This record gives sequence, structure tokens and C-alpha cells, in this order.
Amino acid sequence: MADYSLISTPPLAGTDLRFGTCRITAPADLALVSLALPLSGEDAAQKAIAKAFGTALPDIGQSAATSDGSTTLLRLGLDQGFVMFTHATPDAERVVAAKLGGAAYTTDQTDVWCALDVTGPDCRRALERICPIDLHPDAFTIGSLARTTMEHLGVIVIRTDTDSFRLLSASSSAQSFLHAVETSFANVM
Amino acid sequence: MSQINRIDGGQIDRSKLLSFTFNGREMHGHPGDTLASALLANGQILVGRSFKYHRPRGILTAGSEEPNALVQLRSGARQEPNTRATVTELFDGLTATSQNHRGPLEFDLMAVTDFASPFLSAGFYYKTFMWPRAFWEKLYEPAIRSSAGLGRLSMQDDPDHYDKGFLHCDLLVIGAGPSGLAAALTAARSGARVILADEDFTPGGRLNSETLSVDNMAGADWARMAVAELASLPNVRLMTRTTVYGAYDHGTYGALERCTDHLADSGGKPRQVLWRIYSKRAVLAAGATERPIAFGNNDRPGVMMASAVRTYVNRFGVAPGKQVAVFTNNDDGWRTAADLAARGVSVVAIIDSRDKPAVCDVPGARHIRGAAVKDTVGRKALKSVTLTDGQVIPTDCLAVSGGWNPNVHLTCHQRGRPNWRDDLQAFVPGDSLPVGMQVAGAANGAMTLGAALAEGHAQAARQLDALGLTAKGSAPQAEDEPRDCAGFWHVKESAKRAWVDLQNDVTVKDIKQANREGFRSVELLKRYTTMGMATDQGKTSNIAGLAILAEDAGKTIPEVGTTIFRPPYTAIPIGALAGRARGKDFRPYRLTPSHKWASENGATFVEVGNWLRAQWYARPGEQGWRDSVDREALQTRQSVGICDVTTLGKIDIQGRDAAEFLNRVYSNAFLKLPVGKVRYGLMLREDGIAYDDGTTARMSENHYVMTTTTANAVLVFRRLEFARQCLWPGLDVHLISTTDGWAQFAVAGPNARNLLRKVVDEAHDLSNEGFPFMACGEVTVCGGMPARLFRISFSGELAYEVAVPARYGNSMMDVLMEAGREFDAVPYGTEALGVMRIEKGHAAGNELNGQTTALNLGLGGMVSQKKDCIGQTLSKRPEMNRDDAIRLVGFRPVDRSKKLIAGSHFITKGDEAIMDNDQGWMSSVAYSPSLGHSIGLGFIKRGHERMGEIVRAMSPVHDTEMEVEIVSAHFIDPEGDRLRG
Repeated sequence: MADYSLISTPPLAGTDLRFGTCRITAPADLALVSLALPLSGEDAAQKAIAKAFGTALPDIGQSAATSDGSTTLLRLGLDQGFVMFTHATPDAERVVAAKLGGAAYTTDQTDVWCALDVTGPDCRRALERICPIDLHPDAFTIGSLARTTMEHLGVIVIRTDTDSFRLLSASSSAQSFLHAVETSFANVM
Repeated sequence: MSQINRIDGGQIDRSKLLSFTFNGREMHGHPGDTLASALLANGQILVGRSFKYHRPRGILTAGSEEPNALVQLRSGARQEPNTRATVTELFDGLTATSQNHRGPLEFDLMAVTDFASPFLSAGFYYKTFMWPRAFWEKLYEPAIRSSAGLGRLSMQDDPDHYDKGFLHCDLLVIGAGPSGLAAALTAARSGARVILADEDFTPGGRLNSETLSVDNMAGADWARMAVAELASLPNVRLMTRTTVYGAYDHGTYGALERCTDHLADSGGKPRQVLWRIYSKRAVLAAGATERPIAFGNNDRPGVMMASAVRTYVNRFGVAPGKQVAVFTNNDDGWRTAADLAARGVSVVAIIDSRDKPAVCDVPGARHIRGAAVKDTVGRKALKSVTLTDGQVIPTDCLAVSGGWNPNVHLTCHQRGRPNWRDDLQAFVPGDSLPVGMQVAGAANGAMTLGAALAEGHAQAARQLDALGLTAKGSAPQAEDEPRDCAGFWHVKESAKRAWVDLQNDVTVKDIKQANREGFRSVELLKRYTTMGMATDQGKTSNIAGLAILAEDAGKTIPEVGTTIFRPPYTAIPIGALAGRARGKDFRPYRLTPSHKWASENGATFVEVGNWLRAQWYARPGEQGWRDSVDREALQTRQSVGICDVTTLGKIDIQGRDAAEFLNRVYSNAFLKLPVGKVRYGLMLREDGIAYDDGTTARMSENHYVMTTTTANAVLVFRRLEFARQCLWPGLDVHLISTTDGWAQFAVAGPNARNLLRKVVDEAHDLSNEGFPFMACGEVTVCGGMPARLFRISFSGELAYEVAVPARYGNSMMDVLMEAGREFDAVPYGTEALGVMRIEKGHAAGNELNGQTTALNLGLGGMVSQKKDCIGQTLSKRPEMNRDDAIRLVGFRPVDRSKKLIAGSHFITKGDEAIMDNDQGWMSSVAYSPSLGHSIGLGFIKRGHERMGEIVRAMSPVHDTEMEVEIVSAHFIDPEGDRLRG
């Protein structure tokens, strides 16, 4: 058999844009695995998740980081969460599944999404051009997340720090997504 | 020309001189001027020609209600017609031209229209240009259009940028006049998140135009202090140059911010931003608009609103005339006279329609009681006015006040109706306001400064209470000025035309005529006379118009009622509504994982939904798309072809009840699908019509992967989510889309297995026995890369679909092509894919078009009668199961050289070609390179029983007819030996 190897080319790899004090970057090697809590097995799944990650699956609309900061749990719905962590190889789902021992259903979402981190004191001013969600520091506290649409694209927005947000959107429309975010910063900076 | 009318004072920065041109003439103004104030300062009284009669017109108002002073701003591609000079902020280098005249503004050739005015009354065009009918489109309409209308479009692409945005607040305050500022201060001091929006570039509203005091200081100074305090608070967003133009559901408001319209150059930034404001509560403090009185020749340049005259004098330091007369029916008009006199401008007379004593002392002015102006003289500038008692008063500026109309517009945007108040002779907000809105100040009928300030504070306090906050501070203090007003709308003694709507050239006579002709509803009046239409939406004319209608019809004004106020409050450019959505960024686009490879290898792309898919890959020497497509299809059938099929929807389905769930959403049985197997499935709509088809693979006991058509991926996901959450919440089923997560490639053709053997890791058995038709499984490729392999075939060939994580997709395409080199592997696009599926007789979107049933598609057997599924019950309806139902079959032209046409209808030979004899239609056609002629799929009655019959395929659209033979839909390999091989 010939010796073929596959090269990874994520759609937004290497993005690093600066607008004044703000910056847009694409996190490298971001892995996402979805969790589905089985019907009538929610408690067992919650326990298994808490045990596996050392932190409980947070409430809907919230995220929670593990104590070492390596992994973040996102709660997107009643029976749905995401595990977000840095992991380069294409086996993220297996890694998470192995930790949970079948207590929750897992699906690899790594390549379904692309991500942009936006940071800087003026980033809300840029995001308000595309984000219908109220990102005021009091209304959208650190760790909050929401599913919304920006420029017709489905987006998960997570507040990761005082003036930092992570945006997740579909990987197939990554170029339109980057254009939307970039234009917003260019328009206000 | 120098600023001959400039006087002392005002809120302009005299230290800086701005140059601008009007009709090419250079003029000067100062920062703080509007174009209108600068034109007046330079003595430019005549600024445009009227819409219909080309009458000389001047500046009527000092605000967004302006009907007359519409100009074209800027030049070239940035030229913007119908811009109100009264709200255009002056900047250095501004260029403006007047509109609607042939030849110079001063000698408009079209002014001849005015002499024909006796014939041009309301409904003239409707009545006159009826016959001959054919003349309307070619002759009448173009002629009318070229003589009427206002500004001209540049006919070039708009080079400016526009943007949109979303804002959130506890309290939105609309209008930064006295009541708006009072409301905003109260709310801001109480800690609420406040947005204060005002259309002007200097907040303060009438405070900037009046000489009244607030908290013992000049009103304009108080406004500046209030604005400074608001600007310093972090919980306040102060938005000047921002018009809140619409009140929408649930406290949502639309606003247009003019970001760079006051600059010579936008610097590449958005010119305007269209905001959607989500408010918990709102205070509407939109103020009031002064209304004119209709009298003979009241449209002459120099006839102005009395409040506007005050604005030009007090705010801009401009005297609109040297010998000003005031004509009023209310106390407020007197203040114009008083302010002018105080600034040294001569006031020759105050003509009060009421027979009452002087409201205040105005030095040098005659007070004429109980009289009215019935006519004026002066074609391009006012020279004198004639009163009802016959006396003639020389004047170059007549300040008219007919009372004030509260700006209730936004209170009516959700169908609220305003109430009439006799004491104000005006409509005030009604009882049904948009959710969360309160109204304060003049907009609510609080017509004096003291009352407006108090109400602004009180309404904010009320809203804060509703928000669970406590109001802090007290209302600013001011006196209540006299405000008595009489209901006096038009001067009956006027024999000359008296204008009601200056923008549309509608006169008192037109309104009376409309009433006589039966257009008695105010809505019909508007449409018949055009009163209240166009850019000003009748802000100065509507109430007077309906008062005149009421009088003529012998009704009261509230009985006549108002027309409906709809958004937008002022005109919104289409560019702002479009925002960024133009050109390539009109909507998002989706790229397949191998897009880069495809673009480097000659692909032509086609839009499929939002996806860009490779349609074909042209090679040097090919003469057209058919050459490429024929080659791709032939080479695939002869050896092996590769196609990126990532766009097909993929839904990950997991759960203990996943099998049961699939069994209920698919019409065919899914309960017993073994692990490691794929099954074709058909979904029905609730009404029994075929909905979508695809395959579902059972990856493990409780894990399935469903594929849908590209077009229906989102719809099917939504439908499944609805079924899971609402129809069967008791099932343990979980769904998540993985469409974008896997790069999936069809590898089809006799050499497909040979090719894959070089890519799939050796541990996996790809033999026909080890991995037979409809097998699926998780494999590894290229030395350990996790992948999924499905043995399914759309082309009818030995075929697989192999999927790798999407980020490896472009590389995978490279690898597949490299591995396929020895087999002369070919990439194929959607066209060759379509050709091969038609050759194989597979249904696609053209066949599953929302009109066809499983029976029609020849899949009747797939609706299992042994179980229930969505759509099963209604699929049993007799009409859908007629013996003569249409059936999907194949067609080929009797004359093989002919090209079939999709959309053709079938007529039995010998029958007349009429709808009653329609037998069905051709749904898909292609040229089959394998067969060497055109082939088609289509539906025809009892098709399955008519093999070999010749029918006529007719396309009245193409005006074609040909004989076609009914054949099996499976043109290639009807037994399916290839795909099982």
C-alpha cells in the first residue's frame, strides 16, 4: 500500500488580525465533542461528567472551566452540552467517550465548527454590529454563552473573560463568518 | 455672495468659515449651520421648484418635516436626491443643487405647467390618460415621469458603506428636547441603562431655538449642561444624528444613525448604521410640529413657519427677512414677533386670526386683530401680503403659525389611533400605545416648557418603577408660556390657490374636489390627491387637510380621523436597509472541504443553496461544458470518478430508541436494520406526499448516521427535532448535525474498490463479501486516520462514499486523485452526478417536488403497512391511489438526435393538445454519453403499464413537440449488477 498521509487545513487556521486594541484570532487545535444526556439517565450522566472533568455540567447558557483550565464544559440545552478543549489529533470524541464510560452519548463536533476569539476593550462595540445578544458586562457575565445568529450564520457566543469572547460558527461558512466579524471591527475601529 | 442675512448670536462657530456651493455658486457658512440656515444667511430664498406646477419654492421649516427645500447633495455616484436642506449639516466642500426644473432654477421652462393648473387638479392623470390604453406605458407615463418627480438618481452603484447593529437598554428615550432630556436625566441618575436618541446634531430640541429659561438659565445652556452630564455617565448612550423611525413588537425600535453624512468624506467607514434597539421601556419625547394655515399663494418663497423663523434667528443667527410679518391663530406665533424684535429684526405686523388683545408687547409692530392673509405677491420672493380686509402689507418674510401637532407617529405604528383634544385643536396619543411606551412633553400634548419638563421626569419615573428602579432627582423647572390656540385651518376668503401639501402641490380646492367626487374617507383622499405622501409624509399638511375635508363634509375632525402612521418616521435610504448585504456578501456562502482543490483544478462552481459546488472540471481543449460533463460521466462508468458529496445533510442520531424513532419518521421499516448496514429511506409529509429521501447507516446498536438531500438538510433536521421534542418526548433520541464535520467523497466506477484499497488501511476487508453493497463501518485511512466508509451508489456503479474529518478533506481529495492516477481517475461535478443519476433512474429534487407520492415515484412498496409513520394515514387517500396515477418512468426521443426538454407535457398520440388531455410531465433530462442520446425521467399516467408506447412531448413555452417512447427509468444496468459487483 502506498504511503499516503493527510494534512489538516482547518478553514480559519492562522487568523490573527488587529484593530486598534482589539484582536481576532483563531484558536489552534480546538476540539469540540457534544454530549447528550440520555432520557431518564440525566443524573447518572451528570455524575459521570462531574467525575470525569472535576466540574459539573453548568446550567443552560453557562460554561464552566475545569480547575486546570484545560477543558471547558458548555451547556447548550436541556439534554445537550459541549466539551471544548485543545486537542490536535482527530480522536477527540473517543477521548471524551472513554472518560464517560457510556453515561452520555458523544459526537465529534470538532470539524463542524470554526472558532474566533475576539478580545479587547472595544470588542463589544464591534460585536454589536452583528450580534443580537446583549453583551453588556452585567447582562452577559463571564462564562455566559448563547446561541444566536450573526449575518444569517448560526453562532455560539461565549464570554471567556472581561473583554474576551469566543465565537463558534459552522466551518463550511467560515469565510463568510470571518468576513462578518472582521468587517464589524473595521467599521468601528 | 456674502452672508447678507447673518445677524449676531446663535449657536454657530463663527471662528470657522465653511465653503459650499449651491447650483455652482460659492457660498459660506459656519459649523453649526444647516444647509438651509446657510442658504438663508447667503440670501438664497428660492431653493427649488414644486413637484407638479414647478412653482418657485423656498424654505418652510427648520426640521425634518420640511416639504419644500429638497436638494440634491454631493455629485457623481454619491449624488443623493430629495435631501432636506433643513436637516443637512453644513460641511466644508458641500455641493448642493436644486431639483425639478428645466433650465436654471430662476427660469424653469416647466413653470408653464402652472398656467395649466386649472386643468391639473386632483385625479387629472387618472382621468386624462385613460385612452388609448396602449399609450400609457410607452407615451404618457414616461412623459409624466420626466416632467414630474423631484431629484434624479445617479444611476451608479452607491460607493458608500452601510452597516447595521443591535442595541439593548432599560429605557429608550426618543427625542432630546426638554422632556426627553428631563426623562433621560432622571433615568440615568437612577442607574438605568439609557439610550437617548435625537435626529438633530445638537441635542436640545426647541430649547436651542427658543429664548425660554430652564432652572434659571438659558434653555440652550441648560440643554448643553444636561447633555454633558448624560455623556459623562457610563450607563447612557447618547446618539445624536439618529432618528428612531419605527416602533416594532415587544419594545423593539428601528433607528437610523447618520454617521458620516456631516463629513466631506466618510473615510471608508459606514455612512449610516441601521440599529435595532431592544428596549425594556421607552419614553417617546418626539415633540410637536407646527402647522401652516392655507391661504392664497401661501407657497411663495419667504412664507415660513413662525417657529422656523425663531429657529433661524435664535439658533443660527440668521434673519430670514428684513421686514417680517407674522400671521398666527395662537399665542405661540407672538413669540416669533417678540424674539425678532428683541434681535433687532423689524416686525411690520402681527396678524392674529383671533379677536383678542396682544399677547405681548412687540415694539414697532402693528397688531391686526381678527384678520387673515388671503393672498401674497412676489413670484420668486415674497413682496407683500394682502389681508382679508383688503389692506396690503409689504413684507419679505411671512411667519405663519397654525398651532402645533404633537408628533404621535410612533404611538400609532402598531395600529394605535390618536385621540382628538379640543383645547389643543390637535391629535394626541391614543389609549393603545406600543408595549412599554410612555409619551412625554409636546408629543403628549404638554405644550408648554414647564409641563414638558415635568412630564419628562414623571414618565421616566413611571418607567423606572416598572423596571424595579427608584427615580432620583426632581423635574427641572420652567415657566408655562401662553399657548392658547384657535382652530383656524384655511382662509375662506382666498380666491387664489391655497396650498395644503406643498410637497405634492395639493390645494384646498383639490381636497374639496375629492370630497365632491366621493373620496370621502381620509385614506381615499390621501390616495386620490397624493396629500401626505412622499418624503415628508405630510407632517405639515395632514391635519390641515383633514380639517378642510371635515369642514367640507360637515363633520368634526375626529369623525374624519387620520390616515395610519406607518414606519419609517422619516425616509430611510435603501442602502441602509441593505446594510452590508450586497455583492458577494449578499448572503453567506458555504464551501466544500475540497473547494481549494477544485478551484485549482478548473472547477466551475454552482450555487446549491448556500453551497458552492463544483459543477464540472474543464480540461484544456474542451469546447464547452458538455464536453467536460460527458467525459466525467463516461470515465466514471469506465474506470473511476470522485465527487465531493459533503453537502448532503448528515444527522447523527443516538439513543436507546433511535431505531424506533427512525421507524416512525421513515415510511419503510428501519427497526431491524443490522449494525454495519445502510438502508435507503423515504420520508413522507404529514399529508402523505413524498418529503425527502436519503440513506441511514447503523454505526452501532444505538448510533445511526442519516443523510438527507443537500436542499433539505436543515428542514429535515428541524422536522426530526420537532418530532423528537414534541411528538415523541418519551423516546430516548438525540440529534446533532455533522454535515460540516465530515468531508465525504463518492468514489464510483468499476475501479472504485481498487482505488480505495490503496487508501483504506489494510486491516479493513473491502472485498465484496467482506464489505458488500449497502455495508457501512468505521475504518481508518492513510495510516490511522479515522474515517467512515459506506457502500452506496447514486451513479449505479460499484461505489463507495468515504468520509474523513473535514479539516483533512482537501488533502483527502489530493490523495484520492493521486491514488487513482493509475486508473485514470476523474473528478466529477454535479452535472455528471446528475447525468448518471438520470441514467440510473434515481429520483432527485425535480422528482420529489412536493407534488408527488411514493406511488408516483414507483416507491409505493416503501410505505410499509405493517407499522405507522408520519404521513402514512393520509397517503392512503383514494385520490392519491388512483389506478391512473402518474408513475415515474423513462423517456427517449423516437428520433434519437433530438434533445428532450424538461417541463414538456405528455399528450397521447391522436389526442388534442389541451389541458384536459395532459398525461404528465418530463421532470429531468440529460444527454447520456453512455447511450449517445438524450434521455429523460418523467411522470405519466399509468406509466408502468405503457412501456414502449409513443407519446407526444410538448412544450408550449419552447414551442416544441416531439415523439418520445416510454421506457424503464433504469437506462443503465437495470438489474443492478454493477453496484453489487
